[in-house]
Amino acid sequence: MPESSAVSSPPASTIRARCRTGIEGLDNILEGGIPKGNTVLVAGSVGTGKTTLTLEFLIRGAEVGERSLFLSVTEASEKLLENMRSFEFFQPGLLASGQLTLIDVPVVYAKLGLTHEELGIDEIDALLQTISRLLVETRAQRVVIDSITSLGYRIKREERIRDFMLRLSQMLSQHGCTTLLVSEIGPLPGRYSLHGVEEVVVDGVVLLGNVRRQGDILRVLQVIKMRGTSHSRAQYVVEMTPIGLLLAPHLKGARAEDD
Amino acid sequence: MVRETDLGERLRSLSAGAAIALRLDPQNYADNYLLALNATIRDVGADPNAHTIYVSVTNPASLVWTIAQALDISPDRISFVDAISHIMMEFRNPLPNATYLESPRMLENLMLRVEYLLRKHSERRNIVILDSVNSLAIHNPPALLSEFFHILINNLKARRVLTVLLATADETTTTIDQILSLVVDETIDVRVEPEEL
Repeated sequence: MPESSAVSSPPASTIRARCRTGIEGLDNILEGGIPKGNTVLVAGSVGTGKTTLTLEFLIRGAEVGERSLFLSVTEASEKLLENMRSFEFFQPGLLASGQLTLIDVPVVYAKLGLTHEELGIDEIDALLQTISRLLVETRAQRVVIDSITSLGYRIKREERIRDFMLRLSQMLSQHGCTTLLVSEIGPLPGRYSLHGVEEVVVDGVVLLGNVRRQGDILRVLQVIKMRGTSHSRAQYVVEMTPIGLLLAPHLKGARAEDD
Repeated sequence: MVRETDLGERLRSLSAGAAIALRLDPQNYADNYLLALNATIRDVGADPNAHTIYVSVTNPASLVWTIAQALDISPDRISFVDAISHIMMEFRNPLPNATYLESPRMLENLMLRVEYLLRKHSERRNIVILDSVNSLAIHNPPALLSEFFHILINNLKARRVLTVLLATADETTTTIDQILSLVVDETIDVRVEPEEL
């Protein structure tokens, strides 16, 4: 083997195909995008831009011909549609053509008769089977569940939550989906989900948050983990614009201040 | 020191991607400021394909827009990133061709608003004017400001965007001079001679 190849990039066979998020700054951080088939936790507290990021991920995917599915647990699809319209690049025809599908999970609950406050084993099975059926019906390549926190809220026991997360993650992977799971978290350091199980099961964690600079709040993004890529671990400031999310390096002069 | 026609021609002759500082003499500041605006948004902006992105940290965009209108600049030829109106509580009548930033301390967001406008007007020959270095220095520590200018100017250079930084001569501290010397290709002192007034 020539000496130069010993220190060069990994061979092509080990480089995994990418799912470009369409958010240029994020794709740059991830060396071209999320490795295809990965399940990624998008974690952050209220108002950090989790839903906006996931909506752009799906619209950009649908635009390039990848079928995209949004499972909404917390917000009604009409409201999500309003948020989508704030993007200049959003074409309503993507919904009409089935390229992009929005599903209200509470409607699914009602159809399945999942009315109890706590879901039992059979009910969890029914929910997972329904999600699997939706993946097949929509032929989804990109999936968002917003939020996994709310979905898991009705599963009270920790072992059941762990089992549910594992089965969900495996199922999404078997269907070949690249998935973003939205995780709502409080301002606890070193924690990316409500139960602490989610970040262990998934392939990647993208953390969104707020940092303060002399009283002003900056919205920031950081990739904590992403299997299959040697990603940047730096922190970036996020700006939400009608042409999508834009990212800039978080200036280091600010780090010594009050964030 | 420099005549209006000379300055306009000098700026027009600069290569794409150049970054220059116009250091305005505080004596007769208003005249020097007008001279700088004439040379930039009117003369350099005279190219039919030109589009100016005016980053306003000193005066509200509404004031600069009033001057631009007096110079017959149409609204489709200039966009503003206004980082001062919010903190001056002067936000009653937002301009349609302006984007407003909550604070001049949000430097990354300022960069991203410029980025947004560059992408929106990507088919045009863009000029970025930042008014001013001194005002940004009031709100931001030198280390942060150096990093900001380093990233912003190098990004604009790489995209072959002409960048003009306005500064006030008398107020420029050594630190600001050092920052400017690292990021700009040239510093031009702007002072209207009394006989020109």
